[in-house]
Amino acid sequence: MVSDHDKQSPITVAVPQCLSTDDVKNMLAATNIWDQSPPTPIEQVTGTSPEDLPNNMAFSYCLLPNNPGPDWLGSLIRLNCDKFVEHFDGIKLDDLGAVLDSDKASQDELLIVLSTRSAYHLPIARKFVTALRHRGLINEATAPTVEMAVQESFANSLIHGNLELEASGHLSMESFNELGEETQKRLASSTYGDRVIVLTAKKLKNGHITISISDQGRGFIPKSIDDETEMPGQESTFGRGLPLIKSLCHSVTFGRDGRTINLTFDQATTGILPADPAFVAAIDAQATVAYEAGLRRPENATILIADDTMLSREIIATYLRADGFTNLVFAKDGEDTLNQVKAHDPDLIILDIIMPKLDGYEVCKALRADPLFASTPIIAQTALEENQGRTQIFEDGATDLILKPLNKAELIARTKIHLENRLLVKQLQAYQERTQSELDLARDMQENLNPAAEQYRGTGADYGMRISATFQMSSELGGDMWGLVPIDAHKLGVYIVDFAGHGLGAALNTFRLHSLIWSDQIRDLNPGAYLGNLNRHLKGLLPVGQYATMLYGIIDRGEKTFSYASAACTSPLLGDSTTGNARYLDGSGVPLGVIRDAKYETRQVPFDQNSFLLLYSDALVETTLDDGQFLSEEKLLSMVQQTITANRTDVDLAAQIADQFMDRAPAQLSDDFTIVSLQSGNSVNIANEAKRSASRTDYTI
Amino acid sequence: MNYSTEQTDKTTIVTLSGRFTFGDHSSFRKLIEEIRAHESETQVLDISGVEFIDSAGLGMLLLARDEGEKARASVVLRGAQGQVKRMLEVARFDTLFILED
Repeated sequence: MVSDHDKQSPITVAVPQCLSTDDVKNMLAATNIWDQSPPTPIEQVTGTSPEDLPNNMAFSYCLLPNNPGPDWLGSLIRLNCDKFVEHFDGIKLDDLGAVLDSDKASQDELLIVLSTRSAYHLPIARKFVTALRHRGLINEATAPTVEMAVQESFANSLIHGNLELEASGHLSMESFNELGEETQKRLASSTYGDRVIVLTAKKLKNGHITISISDQGRGFIPKSIDDETEMPGQESTFGRGLPLIKSLCHSVTFGRDGRTINLTFDQATTGILPADPAFVAAIDAQATVAYEAGLRRPENATILIADDTMLSREIIATYLRADGFTNLVFAKDGEDTLNQVKAHDPDLIILDIIMPKLDGYEVCKALRADPLFASTPIIAQTALEENQGRTQIFEDGATDLILKPLNKAELIARTKIHLENRLLVKQLQAYQERTQSELDLARDMQENLNPAAEQYRGTGADYGMRISATFQMSSELGGDMWGLVPIDAHKLGVYIVDFAGHGLGAALNTFRLHSLIWSDQIRDLNPGAYLGNLNRHLKGLLPVGQYATMLYGIIDRGEKTFSYASAACTSPLLGDSTTGNARYLDGSGVPLGVIRDAKYETRQVPFDQNSFLLLYSDALVETTLDDGQFLSEEKLLSMVQQTITANRTDVDLAAQIADQFMDRAPAQLSDDFTIVSLQSGNSVNIANEAKRSASRTDYTI
Repeated sequence: MNYSTEQTDKTTIVTLSGRFTFGDHSSFRKLIEEIRAHESETQVLDISGVEFIDSAGLGMLLLARDEGEKARASVVLRGAQGQVKRMLEVARFDTLFILED
């Protein structure tokens, strides 16, 4: 990471294409935003939308266009950047020096500066919380509570603070309408509308997170902070958000005479709005799988405490818990010990020698006779002073001995030593690190199988189409891949692939298929014949039980058609960009790699100057969203329609759908997520835009 | 927030979708005017498509209820899900509205 504190280092700034050179110069010269004296040199990276900007580049700042749309709001999640500032003419930050300065001092932060006029119409709380989730600053379970608290505080700072509107008590329809008109008037005026609102998030040392919202108006401190009036009830809820906010946070404080509200959240406790139970269950299931697939860590070790007196068991447990070992199981006699070992497969056994039913010697012998537990470390605890018993217990298989009464430090030290031996922590860590770096390399390689933004943007422009795509890899390696295949001046091929499963196996298979696709010179075959061919090759390469779903299609701009064949791919969406109406195409077909002589039907549909096509992997429709449900076919259709009608042609459909999906899906996906849209458009505009996009300028102020 | 209305017999069904928050002032005002013109005996607000509501949104639902009462119509909230359902529970809207699944 480039530190912006270091005056010698260049800083990189993400800049929207629509800002003029002068706009950018003025913004970057506004010292009260950036620092006492702006660091030099500054490298600007420009794009028409965040999709154009490289997601592996660290940006010190991202400028947002005046009145940013949902596309630029997506930069909060898409870009490796912590500071986002809207460009608008009336921006004045003089009185926010303290807010911006304190922000520079801490890490793990997110800062957003917006005009009141823009912020009023944007789902800021939602995007802010999605950005915090994706940065790992808040967990999935806390997110709904945080979003609610941010939404309410943000509304207060905006409406009561910056717009200075009074809205309390029970509203009649008449006063509601008056309030609405006054709101519009003030948003349009420079006095109120040009005031900025600043949101920041910081992680505290104790793991709590503080979110601060600052306004430039008169702030919002209610008459009595301790007013614990109940939630809505019979009265209107306008201007009465504070009791609700307080019930959602660990603590609420005010600064700058009420013009900054600080919300602190304790991640361990959940507020009154916990996440949907089905959503949490889905996340937990995912975490369990990840845990089981991963390596056991010392602090997660299961320790069995076998002792016939309860007090001794409790003493040992207390010592261990105090040192962070919380995964404890207990046995009260020798037989019970053998049963508990079988049931829990502990990483360490702390064993009393003198116990009823079976004594410690017998337990040791029994365990060592069982290959499953032959190497489980056993620390025998005994009050026996005589040498014979001590020799005996080692002979019977104990790993170590500890004398009663127990010394806490000694117990902990021995526990740690044996656990470390047991888990081979050092070797495993080294191995894990090496594996991790190799996995990272594999991830990079897999990502590179997909075309880069500048590549598919440019290819799209060649064919008079706006092409947008988003790819998010699952926490492990996955099996998704997509690509474009230019065939001739009018025909553009497109494919999307999803290998079953994830992990290294799936990733290797995508490499296999990728080389098959690009070694074949028969791409202008009709899609059905092409998939048949590919299937025969792949069947020979793939082990039994491994398969892929795939769609291959050809958009023919001359014939105005889209012909495609599908091997059990998700149903593509074909729609009309003038109405936003879309329908599902038939995605049925045998998966690749299952039957050698599978036949694939070529299907053809019209694709004209108003058509758009949306391809996606099953993660889009098979991920549990925050309402505990999958995205249904109908919901996807209406999401697409609303996205198109709200923005018309000027929209990157896939990016917009992906952003809305990210708002509602867990930050860590259990499967690869791929979405690609191909939209017909005015070819001249697209070509110009593509040429302008992703350009870089370097200059020094 | 987006909405569509539909009138059958003496019932008006309003289907709302998206996020219903403080910024939805003007669309809500239009919605109320539309319902008023229907003069139905029952007004059903289908909020199954609403994915997020804030306290201002709740306040607007209360306004809809007031308007319904003035016109002697019963107001039904239908199909709340996820965050919206939990907000209605927290705000005890079951005492103020007829809630339907």
